[in-house]
Amino acid sequence: MGAAVELHGIKKSFGSVNVIDGVDLAVEQGEFVVFVGPSGSGKSTLLRVIAGLESTTSGDIIIDDHNVTYAEPSDRGIAMVFQSYALYPHMNVFENIAFNLRLAKTPKSEVDRLVLDAARILKLEALLDRSPAQLSGGQRQRVAIGRAIVRQPKVFLFDEPLSNLDAGMRVEMRLEIERLHRELGAAMVYVTHDQVEAMTLADRIVALDDGHIQQIGSPLELYKNPSNLFVAGFIGSPKMNLVTGKVGQVASENSVELDGKAQVKISASVSGQASGDVVTVGIRPEAVKIVQAGQADAIQAEIEAIERLGNVTYVYADAGMSQLVTIQVDAEFSHNIGDKLAIAFAPEQLHLFDKDGQVITP
Amino acid sequence: MIDVIRRKNLTYGQFIIFATLLFALCFFGIPVVWLISAAFRSEVSLYSAKAFDWPDLVSFAESWVTLTTYNDFQILLWAKNTLIYCAGGVILSLIACIPAGYALALSEFPGRRLILIATLIAMITPSTALVLPIFLELNLLGLTNSYSGMVLASGFFPFGVYLTYIFFSSSLPKGVLDSAVIDGCSRFQVFTRIALPLAKPIISLVAFFSFLAIWANYFLAFVLLSDPTLYNLPVGLTDLVSSSGALSNLAGNDIPIRKPEVILAAMLIIVPVLIVFLAAQRFVKSGMLAGAEKG
Repeated sequence: MGAAVELHGIKKSFGSVNVIDGVDLAVEQGEFVVFVGPSGSGKSTLLRVIAGLESTTSGDIIIDDHNVTYAEPSDRGIAMVFQSYALYPHMNVFENIAFNLRLAKTPKSEVDRLVLDAARILKLEALLDRSPAQLSGGQRQRVAIGRAIVRQPKVFLFDEPLSNLDAGMRVEMRLEIERLHRELGAAMVYVTHDQVEAMTLADRIVALDDGHIQQIGSPLELYKNPSNLFVAGFIGSPKMNLVTGKVGQVASENSVELDGKAQVKISASVSGQASGDVVTVGIRPEAVKIVQAGQADAIQAEIEAIERLGNVTYVYADAGMSQLVTIQVDAEFSHNIGDKLAIAFAPEQLHLFDKDGQVITP
Repeated sequence: MIDVIRRKNLTYGQFIIFATLLFALCFFGIPVVWLISAAFRSEVSLYSAKAFDWPDLVSFAESWVTLTTYNDFQILLWAKNTLIYCAGGVILSLIACIPAGYALALSEFPGRRLILIATLIAMITPSTALVLPIFLELNLLGLTNSYSGMVLASGFFPFGVYLTYIFFSSSLPKGVLDSAVIDGCSRFQVFTRIALPLAKPIISLVAFFSFLAIWANYFLAFVLLSDPTLYNLPVGLTDLVSSSGALSNLAGNDIPIRKPEVILAAMLIIVPVLIVFLAAQRFVKSGMLAGAEKG
C-alpha cells in the first residue's frame, strides 16, 4: 500500500496569481502532517485542492493509490473539518452527522450505529437532539469532527479547526484531535498558523510560504535545524533573533562581525563563504546567555522591555543591532528596564544563513 | 454628597421626533380610519352626519350585498381573478427568482456580471415603462386577454432576483456549502437540501413583495386585459366607478353602486394586503435582518 496522499507538481493559480507553485509531497498512511505558514502562504488553498473544493491548474493528486485529480470531493475518500464548523443550521446534531450517510443511501440501522459510535467517541450522546445554535463552539467542532468520522475516510483534512475557539477550549480540542488520531489511525492533514498546534500535533510539519514548501520535517527538526531564514523566523515563539553581519577572521577562529560591530565566534567553518560576505546570524532566545561584563565575547546591551510570563521571562535588549535581541531568562530575573547587561551567543547554537536566506551547513 | 444624575424625561430632540411622528400618524392614519368607518355608513349618513360617525352594521350589510351581487357577482369574479394572478405570479416569481439569485451569488459562469447588471437595470426601470413591450410580446404569443398571459407577466420580478442574490451572497456561510459538497451533495442537492431550507426568510420576503406588486398592479392589467370577466380588482374597481357614475351624483342615476359600495370595494383591495402583511411580518423582518448577522 502506497502513501495516503501523494501530491505531484501541484500548481494552482487564480488568474495571473500563482498561489501554489509546484508542490510535491507524500503523506504516509496514519501520519499526522501539519501545514504551517503565514496568511497567503497557500496552505489552506493546498488543503482545498486536496479536498477537491478547488481544481488544480496542473499536477496530480493520488489518494490511496487512486488518481483523484479530477474526482468529485465526495469520491476522494476524504473528510474535512472547517474553521467555521460549517454545520447545517437546519438539522439537529444527529442529522448533521448522518447527512452524508443519508446521501449515500446507507441503511437506517447502519446510519444509527455509525452515528451513535461517532457520538460515543466524541462524547456527544446527550446532544444528539440539539440544533447547532444550542451548542458551544467546542461542541460544534466535535459535531463537525463526528461528521468526518462517520465517513470513515482514508484522510482527514482539518482547516484551522481550532481558530474560532477560546484558549482553554483549544487545548482541550487539541488533545481530543490527538487522541482521535491515535484511535482511528487514519492519515490527517492539518492546516494551522498556530505554532503550538503544529509542534504538538504533527509527526511532520510542512512549512509553506508563497506557494512553495520551505521545509518538511519533524517539529524538532524544523526548530533545531531550520533550512532557511523563513523557517527560522516562523517556527519558534518568541521568534529566533536574526542579525545580519559579515564574515570575518579573528586570529585562527571563524567569526562574524554583526551589524552592531560586535564579533561573534562560530564553532564551525563558514564553508563556501569568503571574508566580507554578508550573512545572517540566528540565535534562539534561550541560547542567548547573560554573562559577566568584561568577558571576552560579551556584547553590551540595555534592557528595553521585560515580559514576565510567570514560568519564564523574556527580556528585549538593545545591543546596537538593527533590532532588539530577545533573551529568555528565569522567572525570577531581577533587573529592570534601562539596566545594562552583558550577553553572549553560544557559538555551537548559532544558525548561519547566506545572503539568499539558505542555511550554511558547517 | 453624591450627585444623582438622572436621564431627562424628554429632551428637545426627542420632542421633535415625537411631534414629527405624531403628525405623520395623523396625516396618513386619519384617511385610512375614515375609509374604514365610511365603509360602515349609508350614503345619507356620509352626506349629513359628521365626518366620523358611529359604524352601522345594517348599512354595511346592505352595501356588501349590493356590491357583491351587482352585475352577476362581478366583483367576486374580479377578486377571484386577482387571487389567481397573485398565486400564479408569486409562484412563478419564486420559481424564477430563488434559483436565479442563488446562481448569481454562488457560481461563476460567463455572462454573470451582465445578467446582474441587466437585473439591476430592470429593477430600477419603472414597471409602467415595461408594460408596453410586455404587451407586444404577449400579443405576439397570443396571450393577451388570458389568465396565463397575465400570470406570466406578473411573474416577472427582477427585484426578487436581486433580493435573493444579496441574501445568498451575504447570509449563507460558504463553509456550509463546501461541507455539503464534501458530504456528497451534487450541485442541485446543495441547492435543494441546504440552501433552500436556509432561505425561508428570503423566500417569504420575495413572496411578500411579489404579492404586493401583483395585487395592486393596475397598469399591467389595464393594458393586457380588455375582457371585463378577466379584470383584476384595481381595473375592475376603476371600471365600476366610471361605469356606475357613483362619484358624479348624476340626476336620474339608478345604478345601485353609490359611495358606500365604492368605499367597500376599495376596502376589498386594502384588507387582504394588511392581513398578508401581518401574517408575513415575522418572516419579512427576519428576511430583512438576515444579512446583518454573521453566519
